[in-house]
Amino acid sequence: MADDREILREVWEGRIPVCFTLASDEVTSDQPDPFFLLISRQTYITLVTDKVQKHFKKFTEVTEDDEMWFDYEGQPLKWHYPVGVLFDLYAHGIVLPWNITVHFKNFPEEDILHCGSKEVIEAHYMSCLKEADVLKHKSHVISNMQKKDHKQLWTGLQNDKFDQFWATNRRLMERISDEPFKHVPFKIYQPHTMYIQKLFRPVTDQAEPLLLKHLLEEAGPDSFRNAVGAKPKILIQGIESPLDTPVQWLSEHLSHPDNFLHICLVPATPANHEL
Amino acid sequence: MAETESGSKTDQRSEDTSENGEPVQPQQDKSKEDATVTSPAKKKNDKVDVLLKNTADAPIMAKKKWAVPRTRKVSWVIEFIRKYFKCEQTDSLFLYVNQAFAPAPDQEIGNLFECYGSDGKLVLHYCMKEAWG
Repeated sequence: MADDREILREVWEGRIPVCFTLASDEVTSDQPDPFFLLISRQTYITLVTDKVQKHFKKFTEVTEDDEMWFDYEGQPLKWHYPVGVLFDLYAHGIVLPWNITVHFKNFPEEDILHCGSKEVIEAHYMSCLKEADVLKHKSHVISNMQKKDHKQLWTGLQNDKFDQFWATNRRLMERISDEPFKHVPFKIYQPHTMYIQKLFRPVTDQAEPLLLKHLLEEAGPDSFRNAVGAKPKILIQGIESPLDTPVQWLSEHLSHPDNFLHICLVPATPANHEL
Repeated sequence: MAETESGSKTDQRSEDTSENGEPVQPQQDKSKEDATVTSPAKKKNDKVDVLLKNTADAPIMAKKKWAVPRTRKVSWVIEFIRKYFKCEQTDSLFLYVNQAFAPAPDQEIGNLFECYGSDGKLVLHYCMKEAWG
């Protein structure tokens, strides 16, 4: 059970200060002011940027078919990754705020998914949640929930309501009959490549807890294991957890609202290695 | 739809054929002739067996078992099925894993096989309307 509520709350309240500017080649009138937003690590960027769209639409020509999208230093941002993951993956160690460019034209079909409505985000979130419970509890917990419970998880996330969210999410974090999760839902990200997903049990056959270092040895990319020179930084919720942290504990406390552990491996640079 | 090198038309007996479904370059994948392939720990760029099953009133594919490169995205599989049935642009097609969740369109088949494959194959259910959505 995720019983360290203080940690849960700290994680929930992680925020990134973002400065949005309109792509210079799309400005048609006066130069717009940038738009600042403090965004939760836990949310999805298209869920919280209606105001950004409203602000910049005035300064460019937007048609019915245009869809807003974002890039950071030329990297299109996948809205279906949690904001915190995008930040850790592409902007860890930068001087804040995170400068993101807003576009309405030239949607990069090959790089990002379309996000036609809030319902699309909700459907994606619910799929992730269901997948996580397949791995943890063979779907038993989530399939025994009612639609209103699913809805509460979504609205808790959407409206940034920690208590409302965790009132239901605690059930997804439960150990059935004191058993740890069957498998731990996780994704290992590196820049410019598809994330890795594998099966990983949080305990040995002798019921001993397995640690973060075991998970990385087992599931991490070959390049990580064979790294010459500085090892990459391992970021979960923007934090470098000790490699001796039990994976079950990480899953219970540092997962995103989709119940996945999102683990970013980013190159250590002179700029970020002090952090 | 692509044909195998032996020149046989699409047939029910899918075990010995290896298709990536690409219209231009059919390949005979010799590695598939190995008897027992239960371990999911194949090397990268290799193919995995995918079994496409219909749900509800979705049509049934004559050939259900396909060898798909690990790096193929879910969106590619969806498009493949749509082309197979000559779907209209406006027709929806939903794909499910474990009859439980719809994977993201940019998810790779390799990841799904690692986590949800069994008996050496990944079973995916498709339908024209949301089933477990």
